[in-house]
Amino acid sequence: MTNIRLKNIEKSYGDVQVIPPLDLEIEDGEFVVLVGPSGCGKSTTLRMIAGLETTSAGKVFIGDRDVTDLRPGLRDCAMVFQSYALYPHMTVKENIGYGMKVRGVDKKIAAEAVANAARVLNLTDYLHRKPAALSGGQRQRVAIGRAIVRDPEVFLFDEPLSNLDAKLRVEMRVEIKQLHRRLKTTMVYVTHDQVEAMTMADRVVVLNAGIIEQAADPITLYEFPVNKFVASFIGAPSMNMLEGKLSGTGDDLVFESDAGASFPIPKSRIPALAEFSGERFSLGIRPEHTSENADVGPKIQIKVIDVEPLGPHTLLIGEVGGEKFTAQFSSRSRPQPDDMVDVYVNSGEVHFFRESDGRAVR
Amino acid sequence: MSVRDLRGAKRHWVLFGCLIWLTFALFPLYWVAITSLKSPVDVVGGPTYLPFVDFQPTLKAWTELFSGIRGEFFSNFWSSTIVALSASVIATIIGSMAAYALVRFTFRVRLMSGITFFVVAMGGFLFGREVLGIGPATASIIAFCIALALSIFINRFKLPGPVLGNDDIVFWFVSQRLFPPIVVAFALFLLYTEMGKLGFRMTDTYFGLTLAYVAFSLPIVIWLMRDFIASLPLDVEEAAMVDNVPTWRIFFGIVLPMSKPGLIATFVITLAFVWNEFLFALFLTNSKWQTLPILVAGQNSQRGDEWWAISAAALVAIVPMVIIAGLLGRMMRSGLLMGAVK
Repeated sequence: MTNIRLKNIEKSYGDVQVIPPLDLEIEDGEFVVLVGPSGCGKSTTLRMIAGLETTSAGKVFIGDRDVTDLRPGLRDCAMVFQSYALYPHMTVKENIGYGMKVRGVDKKIAAEAVANAARVLNLTDYLHRKPAALSGGQRQRVAIGRAIVRDPEVFLFDEPLSNLDAKLRVEMRVEIKQLHRRLKTTMVYVTHDQVEAMTMADRVVVLNAGIIEQAADPITLYEFPVNKFVASFIGAPSMNMLEGKLSGTGDDLVFESDAGASFPIPKSRIPALAEFSGERFSLGIRPEHTSENADVGPKIQIKVIDVEPLGPHTLLIGEVGGEKFTAQFSSRSRPQPDDMVDVYVNSGEVHFFRESDGRAVR
Repeated sequence: MSVRDLRGAKRHWVLFGCLIWLTFALFPLYWVAITSLKSPVDVVGGPTYLPFVDFQPTLKAWTELFSGIRGEFFSNFWSSTIVALSASVIATIIGSMAAYALVRFTFRVRLMSGITFFVVAMGGFLFGREVLGIGPATASIIAFCIALALSIFINRFKLPGPVLGNDDIVFWFVSQRLFPPIVVAFALFLLYTEMGKLGFRMTDTYFGLTLAYVAFSLPIVIWLMRDFIASLPLDVEEAAMVDNVPTWRIFFGIVLPMSKPGLIATFVITLAFVWNEFLFALFLTNSKWQTLPILVAGQNSQRGDEWWAISAAALVAIVPMVIIAGLLGRMMRSGLLMGAVK
């Protein structure tokens, strides 16, 4: 059993509080991704688990052990860094085996472990090269190999793919996921890339300014974001937000945007929203829930600024009364910049966020 | 605007200027080299420039030097080599450790405990000398030990006054080199003779001279290595820390190999300093452990201005450093960190 429990951990540098008291439980064998904009405290949280940062208050448990005051080496974590952090003067083989050599593991067992890791990571042909002679992807695999042979209770990844090019990143994503499926070890993964978070995680923890905004599996996060921050952070391209207010009563409840567009509230949402009539709201519409087909739902008129044909579909970057709005059309449609276009919205999929606290109402 | 862009006459003028400077820089060396090959008559009889044309070269100065007529040449060369190598190696290793500690760990020295050290050390010394009447060496050793222990102990408490950090400590080290060496040399000579009276012979010993050089080289080593170690990627050490590598192994197994170019540069600078050092050697040695600079200087005083002999001795003192710099220079190249991070 190797779960991780963070109990009320805090981090302050002098008077600046980076992370207010934070609670998080990570299950045994779970793949948890901490995601958030830069400076949200995700790396700091990971480093506090690793022991590379001290906690200003609170406790860290790995399994049943209170590791709060243990030095990093005794926590039985393995960590993969964004910068790879390989030992430049050692060959791949020495890099992977160094920890075991220092711990005095039997040479034969160590060599076997290195060979195994190299086979799994396709590094067998490069064992005698130095890191300088490897590509970025190979270097990161060496770093992962070094973590694997540690046979740790917990794997920690600190933005491991950020330095790789886009294609390699997709490949490594799959490799790390496969690794997790095979090893079934608890993994904590930090990234600022929400696509990485969504594709890899059992559970995504969205952090903002040191506070957990929402922790849930990727689909829940996507379909039921609890607040405006999570809604706009998760999903690419990000969710359109129209500011406005609710008005009318009963079945005539409508959302009137400040830009002048009026949007009838779908029947299914009226019971939850009726009591807020008169209050200011943000209407969240994901680009993928818009279409040029008139039969999906109510329409909004946008002024096209730019057209991004992506192949499977085409994105229209436009604006509604000064607010940005991205719509997703089929690739058959060919609007031009400066066109006024009618966008139809699948009203069953829209989100409403109260302006007062940003929370979703559904 | 770069020199590379120059064309035609301008380019030639630049080349001409560079050649003038090259001649200016190399001429003294050439002059020393040919002077060592001249006979006494050629040296005093006005300037001559080209061997076999202006004058007939002779190896007399060299044979005299190596045969030992003019001082214990081999003994001096040997002691110079041993002292310079061992002092540079020791200073580089110890200095790197100090530099690493100053870069990676935070030290807090309270000014009050520093003042306490000074007061107790000086007061204790004076008390021992004047009141108890013990010898100066014994008094200072006892006073300094007590002062050190006391100041370390009271540094744990919240004392009033400012707290000094790592930068202040580095400045303290470097400040050791701000005052004239002659001040230290005198004090060191007195201390060594006093210790000699106690039975620890320090003057004209390998130990005494090397210790003085190590102490005097450390500030420069710490200062150079601190900048170098600070530029190493911290991630690599953190990776080792997570991997449960003990701190001393991180230092010897990872930090030192990564700082190889810096270590070699620092070693060469220290070696050059110790090899060329004159003042300490003059004060602290008298026969057995005399170094080459003393020998070179001595040529003048022993038998008058015999420039041919001085030139030969000077060349012997120059050449080993040129060879070392040439050998180690190529190891100072950067690029060793390639592949560690990003």
